[in-house]
Amino acid sequence: MSVESVLELIATQTAAGKATRKGDQDGVDELVAQALADGAAPSDVLDALVKGMGVVGDQFAAGKAFVPNMLLAARAMSKGMAHLKPYFSSGEVKRKGTFVVGTVFGDLHDIGKNLVAMTVEGNGWEVIDLGVDVKPEAFAAAVAEHPGAVVGLSALLTTTMVNMEKIIQTVRAAHPDTKVIVGGAPITQGFADQIGASGYAPNPAGAVELLASLAA
Amino acid sequence: MQSRERVVAALNHQTPDTVPVDFGATAVTGMHCRMVAELRRHYGLADKPVRVTDPFQMLGEVDPELQEVIGVDCVPVPSPKNFFGISELEVHEQVTPWGQTVLIAKDIDLTPAADGDVYVHGAGDTNYPPSARMPNQGGFFFDAIERRGEVEDDDDLDVADNLAEFGPLSQADMDYIVAGAKAARATGKAVVLGIPGAGLGDIAYVPGACLPDPKGIRNIADWYMSILTRPEYIEEVFRRQIDIALANVERLWQSVGEDADVAYICGTDFGTQDSQFCSVDTFNELWLPHYQRLTNWIHQHTPWKTMKHSCGCIVPLIPSLIEAGFDILNPVQVNAKGMDPTWLKATYGDQVTFWGGGVDTQRVLPYATPAEIREHVLQQIEIFGAGGGFVFDAVHNVQANVPVANVVAVIDTLREIRGL
Repeated sequence: MSVESVLELIATQTAAGKATRKGDQDGVDELVAQALADGAAPSDVLDALVKGMGVVGDQFAAGKAFVPNMLLAARAMSKGMAHLKPYFSSGEVKRKGTFVVGTVFGDLHDIGKNLVAMTVEGNGWEVIDLGVDVKPEAFAAAVAEHPGAVVGLSALLTTTMVNMEKIIQTVRAAHPDTKVIVGGAPITQGFADQIGASGYAPNPAGAVELLASLAA
Repeated sequence: MQSRERVVAALNHQTPDTVPVDFGATAVTGMHCRMVAELRRHYGLADKPVRVTDPFQMLGEVDPELQEVIGVDCVPVPSPKNFFGISELEVHEQVTPWGQTVLIAKDIDLTPAADGDVYVHGAGDTNYPPSARMPNQGGFFFDAIERRGEVEDDDDLDVADNLAEFGPLSQADMDYIVAGAKAARATGKAVVLGIPGAGLGDIAYVPGACLPDPKGIRNIADWYMSILTRPEYIEEVFRRQIDIALANVERLWQSVGEDADVAYICGTDFGTQDSQFCSVDTFNELWLPHYQRLTNWIHQHTPWKTMKHSCGCIVPLIPSLIEAGFDILNPVQVNAKGMDPTWLKATYGDQVTFWGGGVDTQRVLPYATPAEIREHVLQQIEIFGAGGGFVFDAVHNVQANVPVANVVAVIDTLREIRGL
């Protein structure tokens, strides 16, 4: 198989959520290893993963793929991304930026946050996932460690979405120009504006677009 | 009309004398314990520790005095065990992280751990790691702790592991339920009976918070992915779950009989804010036949109406939910994509009862002014209430930090309409 065909297959299998070999079909794990062994440029491999995640992300945003599809695709993408880690470390492949993401304090829900984190990572960003129930100080500390990072806040609950404002204030008190984007079921653009967020996205594909516009 | 008559008329799609109201008949139509205390205070009822009826969500009992104020028409049959598999037969006073004294199941200890958070153990068994956690800062209820990662090797899978929490009701539990149903019937209100173990793939239950040491597919992401990658396994879990539930339902019907009016079946959420958790095809293949086995039996043998809860945008799934044999849909999340009240009522109003949708708890109740809330409530009742097929309830439980004046606006609007 030509390198181009393998790259094409990486994108297809990522979108389909095929992480590892099953039956006689290779998963993204094997395909990425093969592509790199065959001399594919790591940046082209990343592009293939990005393309695959883009396909499923768009389908999800259009209501044609669902949470399980997204989780499977993200898992496949992560398997492929693991092979690219050395190239990121050496600087051979450049990240688009750093995205510090977490579910706000008081809130233990992480499916939405994880989907965004994995989709953003699959779009070529370095993702620092702080987990759930994350206190304002932890977000500020992560930005100190990763200067210029964009911060993403997630909340599922009406009782915890109100905690976003305090986090934005704490982060910006220490790092005034930090861009903070918000999302989660109860969040609206109006709420995002009201608490001084830099942006709001209703789904993972939207978060990727938003990050691209903020990074531009 | 008396309360029960009013609800039954609405469920039969006949116009009741006034809009029937539920607050507190299920664990998805209730109020947080802090809100119950605040409402009791507002309406001049004696200050007393609120009884926590669902410790997972920290829901408070909408007690008879508050029912009277609100004009509640529906009551629950209390369950002998809670979400954590802990007995509800005895309670003790505990103080919540927000400083409220409550009455809660005796084997639940709300004392914060060293890290400041509050933990509960499955079945109260402290020999195993905790099964749920309530964050001390900003938390108002528990969430399940995932104690299992993804299942790496399918050879390790045994369907029985995902059925560990389901089984025949003990005679003691049955007696408790029967006594509770009798007492509930004596109130003259419509009675809602929860069907044990009929929630198919309810993600809140998947981590097995009621079990000391859950096994099987217990990781939330793993469960969701398994819907696509291990459909045979999931289907077998559902099939055996419904086998168990059917045996329990037969016994419940023999013992509870017409002391109940509504059978609350399943709380699995199929909707997200703007989409679904699975395709219609997946629902029809995996869920629908098993729901049907249960609802068919209930409809053939009992007068009970069957109730299904699902948050979110479920527009594409409503025809399947009707085909699955559900008479009642809850909570009718009117702000989710496509869940337009007028369209829902016009399209499905003659086929299902909307139990909920009375006030949008996500974007209206916490944030609007009392005057706006009054208008909203009046509008929802006008749309959903026409010709019956509607029981007023907020979209899901009323949460802890909603301004009490806003909830009072809902209650006072209902009182005004109903001449209380």
